[in-house]
Amino acid sequence: MSISTETGAPAGKAWKSKEEFLGCVILTDWILLVVLFAVLLGSFHIHYMLLAGDWDFWIDFKDRRMWPTVAPIVAMCFAAAAQSFLWTKLRLPIGATTVTLALLIGEWINRYDNFWGWTFFPINLVTPSALIPMGFWLDIVLLLSGSWLITALIGGLGWGLLFYPINWPWLAQFHQAAEVDGVLLTLADLIGFNSVRTGTPEYIRMIERGTLRTFGKDVVPVAAFFAGFISMLVYFLWWKIGAWFSTTRYLESDEI
Amino acid sequence: MSVTTEKAARAAAETETIVNYWPAYWTMIALFVFYVCVRIYEQYFGWYAGLDSFDPLFQKYWLSIMWIELPLEFIAFCGIGGYMWKTRDRNIDRVGPREEMRRILVLIGWLAIYAFTVYWGASYFTEQDGTWHQTVIRDTDFTPSHILEFYLSYPIYIIAGWGGFMYARTRVPMFAKRISLAYLMFWAGPFMIFPNIGLNEWGHTFWFMEELFTAPLHWGFVFFGWFALAVFGVAIQIFDRVIELSKEYEKDVSALV
Repeated sequence: MSISTETGAPAGKAWKSKEEFLGCVILTDWILLVVLFAVLLGSFHIHYMLLAGDWDFWIDFKDRRMWPTVAPIVAMCFAAAAQSFLWTKLRLPIGATTVTLALLIGEWINRYDNFWGWTFFPINLVTPSALIPMGFWLDIVLLLSGSWLITALIGGLGWGLLFYPINWPWLAQFHQAAEVDGVLLTLADLIGFNSVRTGTPEYIRMIERGTLRTFGKDVVPVAAFFAGFISMLVYFLWWKIGAWFSTTRYLESDEI
Repeated sequence: MSVTTEKAARAAAETETIVNYWPAYWTMIALFVFYVCVRIYEQYFGWYAGLDSFDPLFQKYWLSIMWIELPLEFIAFCGIGGYMWKTRDRNIDRVGPREEMRRILVLIGWLAIYAFTVYWGASYFTEQDGTWHQTVIRDTDFTPSHILEFYLSYPIYIIAGWGGFMYARTRVPMFAKRISLAYLMFWAGPFMIFPNIGLNEWGHTFWFMEELFTAPLHWGFVFFGWFALAVFGVAIQIFDRVIELSKEYEKDVSALV
């Protein structure tokens, strides 16, 4: 059978009128933007939660060494890929902000509805890391420079360096020292000890390990600088991955 | 198809507007309501009957869901694919511009449903799984959160993606004549997350007592999740074709920006 039909428009034309065309295209643009946003949200979220999730979930994982190293590096992947697509194909300097906003929306819905709503953890324990100002930064560097090379070098380094300072305003209070039964610990540790996660015992918490602690107060700058360095490299790689996923190549049937 | 039926189809098409996203909107509204109901069920029966898989209540309130949902999903997957193939356009070369545009818009409706279900599966139910398993010791592969994440929300996005992919392959000329690499990856990559559950559950039989969500065992999900980025290529292919079909209005679009 054939379901090919062509009616309602002049022969060989897709549209009846300019009004129909404009109305349809504007509406469809919005729907495609929502499609892009939702897909980026889902794929970025599963990527981020399974590569940096533990540090992002729990306040007592947000240390000075592992968290500021792992979280920005992992987050850079999708920021670079989205910039690659949105800047190269559509000249929109909003890739990094878009994906960080998408991720944070997905995370906040989850932290409230599931971490707090289903398993009854206090929101203070499960607040996600702030990332959106880093997205602003990366997009502004790309917009001003118009260069992915400069964005990788300047933007990537700044991405890693900014992570801890932008989180510090809300995090500082949880790093206050507390003494409980003669033991010195942070408020974040205390909240964690009081909110038992049976499947995540204390001894698998990955924080502040190794001799880097001997750097004392300098641990964070060292970790942030290292994160910035790796973020540069990750940016190069994921810009190319974003370009590769923007392929418009078609395969012939005998190629698969 | 009989001549009468073909005439009826043409007559219907004459009165049809070229864009109608309401079927997609209603599908997403229905899915939203469904997932809210699922979440309410979890809230009550997760704690009441979901902690001990050896408890008869677990069999009643949780495993029974899995035995119902999996066959239904398999039937839906086969049914949608079979229907699309059975009713495919066998004269794809004769599709005119307006009909092609209408089909592209229908396809965008399918993509919207796919994106909506990807959000629920990859974001909502996956991170929810994290809080459940890091809180409650698992004693089975088929935990309450898995029964609704792996075996409900994932198959639903796979079916939605499959429906759109098959619609494109059977009705939209640009995707029917050749195979879009981007679209293939956009559907098949996230689909592979489902078989990857085999690795996940196999691994958890060794390490079920401790839960780091970032454990390497979980990285297969990450890898296949990356393929959702192929939405970039699909979007560009659609943009390119819409521009080709709308050349006479290029100056009107320029006036908008």
